[in-house]
Amino acid sequence: MVQIVSNNQRYYFACVVIVFLLLITPFFSAGFGAANISFSDLVNLIQFHWFGSGEASPLVERIVIDLRLPRILLAFMAGAGLSIAGSVLQTVTRNPLADPYLFGISSGAAFGAVVVFSLFGHWLDFDLLAQWQDHPLVQLSLPLGAFIGASLSVLIVLALSGTGINSQIERMLLSGVATSFMFGALSSLVLYFSDPQAAASVLFWTLGSFARASWEGLILPTVVVIGSLLTILAFKRQIMALQAGDETAHTLGVNVVKLRIAMLLLCSLITAVLVASCGGIGFVGLMIPHTIRILLPGKSPLLLTAMLGGLFLVWVDVIARCALTNQELPVGIITSAIGSVFFLFILRHRRS
Amino acid sequence: MMSVPSTAISVSHLDWEIAQQAILSDVSFQLPRGAMLGVIGPNGAGKSSLLRCLYRYIIPTRGDVTLLEQPLHLYSAQGLALKVAVVQQDTPANIELTAIELVAMGLTPHKGLLSRQTAADNHILEDALIKVGLIDKAHQRFNALSGGEKQRVLIARAIVQQPQILVLDEPTNHLDIRYQIQILELVKTLGITVVASIHDLNLASAMCDQLILLNQGRLVAQGTPSQVLTVKQISHVFGVCCEISQHPQHGNPLITYYYGYHEKKGGNGAQTANVASLQPPANSLEQALTKAQDSVQAAGYHQQVQGDSSQRGGRS
Repeated sequence: MVQIVSNNQRYYFACVVIVFLLLITPFFSAGFGAANISFSDLVNLIQFHWFGSGEASPLVERIVIDLRLPRILLAFMAGAGLSIAGSVLQTVTRNPLADPYLFGISSGAAFGAVVVFSLFGHWLDFDLLAQWQDHPLVQLSLPLGAFIGASLSVLIVLALSGTGINSQIERMLLSGVATSFMFGALSSLVLYFSDPQAAASVLFWTLGSFARASWEGLILPTVVVIGSLLTILAFKRQIMALQAGDETAHTLGVNVVKLRIAMLLLCSLITAVLVASCGGIGFVGLMIPHTIRILLPGKSPLLLTAMLGGLFLVWVDVIARCALTNQELPVGIITSAIGSVFFLFILRHRRS
Repeated sequence: MMSVPSTAISVSHLDWEIAQQAILSDVSFQLPRGAMLGVIGPNGAGKSSLLRCLYRYIIPTRGDVTLLEQPLHLYSAQGLALKVAVVQQDTPANIELTAIELVAMGLTPHKGLLSRQTAADNHILEDALIKVGLIDKAHQRFNALSGGEKQRVLIARAIVQQPQILVLDEPTNHLDIRYQIQILELVKTLGITVVASIHDLNLASAMCDQLILLNQGRLVAQGTPSQVLTVKQISHVFGVCCEISQHPQHGNPLITYYYGYHEKKGGNGAQTANVASLQPPANSLEQALTKAQDSVQAAGYHQQVQGDSSQRGGRS
């Protein structure tokens, strides 16, 4: 009895902390960035917007409302989406290393982006880097290319993983790794023959960034992440039953093969949409579910996982904006750096 | 609940082959509702495979399975889980759940996509844990429990599933004799149809209403314990000598085994040779052995026994 109480207390404590962070994060994180916006500026802006009193400078308003808020929201959605995708894939494949990227999704997306950059970039004949932000055709073609590439890799993995209940997990993981390497090789091949400028912009894109966030661009990721989260919550019991093994889940009335394929598709959809809108951001899908597991053993609170992942990326993005004075650091570099150290820490922790 | 079907399980001419190798061949039997069926046979006889056919984890190559008078293939995945609960041989490893959380998995087929766990559900979970005597360990980690406790938690999960048929694959593995008896008696008090594979023939004799004896994928004998557990059949299938008496309490066969098989390994593999070479230490044992030896020789009618049993299987 003592154990469950302390465990539950921990759970509620974690809930309270995360909800508190969730409430204060937008205000505090909006202050950081290239343009220095003080806390009093933000308070003024809120007063002006919500209560109609006082006044705010139009510059601050434009920076916060048009640039930083969508960016914070996109970072939050990306973190939430990648974390739940990682958590669900780890459960349904019973592999602690499962992650959307392990199934070749990001390399497929990168390949799609590379093809768009180097082939159509030349054909359209404009300077990609200069016009990247403004040109609607470029804005649309890149995410589209990434999405097509990601979908292609998922289709290959699904076709190879088959429908036998006994070998499904193994085949899924192996075909994911194979697909990943295949698209990696194809990307390198195309990049090798394209001009250096395209190569540089592809590199920047694959490292991940929220700099292109806009209110319009937020709609698709938000709908997909929230829709997937609700779907996964609806099937939570079935997903949990898979923890006890395929045969047990089968005897509990779960259609194991179908459920696993459906969850892989759903996680791929989340990842493809996120990779298309903010590039490849690794390690979030591994790090956040494992953190939750260490903090709250035995529970798999999906909502908490999603919120922690979202908060994590919002603050990583703050670091990305502030770490260097004249330019932004790609988010993917920071998450990979934190992620690898985190895993070394876990290994040490486990051994002792 | 229009009519209560009287036959719980009906299996006819079941074959299962894997890579052209027959694991089960021509297995047929029927089990009335509420009875307890013991599946016995040596290692590799196909006991687990037969049970897996019953809960559709294995799709047999040929033959039909009917549960509660409805063909197995007509059940939905969830519908089948509402009728049949299974306790597997191997307890799952690497589970981070507590005992009661694992028991709560039994609610899975009863729950819609968005329904939550209610107070009534919690009551069911507690009742199940009380039945298996583990209510005081409800919130301990499943992995921290002993083998016997794990097994009882899994049975509690099956109870929560509220099935009409309970399939147990070697439920008494890893258990000491007290829990072997306790678990099977507990299962019997549920009043539902039970199919269990059991290694201990004396336990099977004491607990089961019906037995089926498998050997190399074939059904060798079926019927009540006293019909199936004969000296002839045991020596033929298991290759051991024994004597059968009546258990003083329940009256079913009580098997006493004889030992000393390691001598004279060079023989043709025929048990008769080994047994004949035994030098029993005591007179009483000598008498018993002669008797056993007679029956082993009788078991030489290998083909005849098999023919008998398949005929019987066809009729039922």
